Amino acid sequence: MNFPWFKRIGIFFIPATIPGWLILIAGFAFAVYSFIDIDSRSHSNSDTLMNFVFMCLIIGAVYSLIAYVTSRASKR
Amino acid sequence: METQNFEKKLTEMAKPEIHNLKHEDMLSRSIINAKDKSVVSWWWLSVPVFIILMLLMKSTFMPGTTLISNMHELESKQKFISLVFFLISPLILIIINVLTIRKIHFLAGSPKSFNFLEAVWFNILIIAVSALILIIYSL
Repeated sequence: MNFPWFKRIGIFFIPATIPGWLILIAGFAFAVYSFIDIDSRSHSNSDTLMNFVFMCLIIGAVYSLIAYVTSRASKR
Repeated sequence: METQNFEKKLTEMAKPEIHNLKHEDMLSRSIINAKDKSVVSWWWLSVPVFIILMLLMKSTFMPGTTLISNMHELESKQKFISLVFFLISPLILIIINVLTIRKIHFLAGSPKSFNFLEAVWFNILIIAVSALILIIYSL
């Protein structure tokens, strides 16, 4: 398999290959799904935004971990 | 003629020069790896930092509550989230970053200069924030 899937620019991991882009798109899709789900259950705009930002941070944390692991293999 | 050939042979037989030191390569690779690790750590730390900021906001706007009382409430309501983001992940991040700094310090030949701090300041910041989160959680 071709590594690295991502390259780091600042605090963001940018996809460099097709699997990397697929992971990013999956992350975005999950974020959109989360937003719709949270919005259907929340009582106000601020409630939606607070829960959505929390979910985005969790998605970002998992994404960065996956990106780090798949970028690391080439350096060995 | 023969002497000249011999001299030429001697020059060719000279000790080969190594332009790229393996040790230097290892050090630069470990610094890049440390930066990548610190970025991942920062993402994982952003979750508890966000929760703490939200709890601070709650304690500001809801009279009679404090950050600590809100934290205890969260702990009783969301045991798994509070355990993962306020205890396990800061502990793991502290261990990972301390080991990374130790490795760079060792590879750099145990320097006592400001340049070393410049290379690992972000890792030190992450250790400090993780320790702060642990302290807030343990109060």
